Amino acid sequence: MIRYPRHLAVAAACLALVGCESQQQGSPVASGSSSGTSTSTSADPGFTPTEDNQDPTKKIDGVLAIEYEGAQHVKPTERVAYDHKPPLGGAHDAVWAPCNGVVYKKAVRTENLVHSLEHGAVWLTYDPDKLDGDGVAALEKRVNGKPYTVLSPFPGQAEAVSVQSWGRQLQVAKADDKRIDQFIQATRANQYLTPEPGASCDQIDPDRFDQDNPPPFDPSDPGPGAIPVTGR
Amino acid sequence: MAAAVVVLLVGAAAGMLITLASVGSPEEAPGQDSIDVGFAQDMRVHHLQAITMAGMARDRSEDTEVRQLAFDIESTQLDQSGQLSGWLTVWGQPTLSPPDQPHMRWMAGAHTHADTSGVDLMPGMATSEELMKLRALKGTEFTVYFLQLMLRHHEGGLSMATYAADHARLGYVRNLAQKIASGQQAEVTLLTTMIKARGAQPLPG
Repeated sequence: MIRYPRHLAVAAACLALVGCESQQQGSPVASGSSSGTSTSTSADPGFTPTEDNQDPTKKIDGVLAIEYEGAQHVKPTERVAYDHKPPLGGAHDAVWAPCNGVVYKKAVRTENLVHSLEHGAVWLTYDPDKLDGDGVAALEKRVNGKPYTVLSPFPGQAEAVSVQSWGRQLQVAKADDKRIDQFIQATRANQYLTPEPGASCDQIDPDRFDQDNPPPFDPSDPGPGAIPVTGR
Repeated sequence: MAAAVVVLLVGAAAGMLITLASVGSPEEAPGQDSIDVGFAQDMRVHHLQAITMAGMARDRSEDTEVRQLAFDIESTQLDQSGQLSGWLTVWGQPTLSPPDQPHMRWMAGAHTHADTSGVDLMPGMATSEELMKLRALKGTEFTVYFLQLMLRHHEGGLSMATYAADHARLGYVRNLAQKIASGQQAEVTLLTTMIKARGAQPLPG
């Protein structure tokens, strides 16, 4: 008997106060929004790609930048005469290497991984002769479960660690160099630098590139029959 | 009487303005540490793994009903993932969370799965070893394990979707979060039924 008249009074007040409904909706939204401020991050927003900051790698010391033309495909039997070790773009196999947070323990065929770069992946590589187990574990932590990242050994590269996205590369001596995370933040699925933003990093054809039994790295010289890095 | 109504209306209008000022205008983009941004980044990563698993089942399962469900999940979550990355671009935020940032810290107020420090692997996510096992299986074993992993994946995403549906600032974010929560809740029932119909049980919790 007490509750009923009070309910009526609230309803009457709401009828008179036309703004009542939106105020009630606004209140929980405001409290939810303010509670989000406790989740601060360590990431520097200056390395996030935006329309005004399309290539944040310009703020990172030591990044190599080269423009390549995309969509130059070669056959699984062909090799490309790349201009850098590891390459950071150029002609590549028609089938990309799975790159959705994949850790390859053994070195794999380069021509497939260059296609992964074209899809927006960041490819981390290390020279197994220059990086110890702790260093490799630190790189694996950056890749495992992280979409649009992929890790593989690359024997014979100049530095212990190299990180590449399409047209960008950073080579460093140690796996804890803070520029690695800055480079990943700046380039991973960067919609301005990636030739094909939104393209898949999932396995397309296990007969051509099996994630669990990938075609191996070929350390030999590609030879005179190789396809130029700029394509045919 | 007319004067009293005018006073009430002016008071109501002032109240609306105060409310708007406290939550920001709808045009103001949510910031780096907001629930809206955290949800969009983490749900996108969560969705991308479901897309990976569903794509495998659509390619490889010999079970027509499972292939159809897999295509439904893959195409739905691919579109939703695109919406999430589109919002993040418009808001000037990373479409994937920075590499050194744990997941689910934006749910610090929820007191559920994640504490204030966040998690490396979100609830329901399959590990690299589980995905490798899925890739190695064939026939009915593959189909059943896919259904089991997808059921656990859907269940794991519910807490994030429900929290964002209740607490995100922007209406369109709350709406998609609500649709994800209700859609996946319905598919949890369907997946459970499909697993049992194939003589198996959900993975132990």
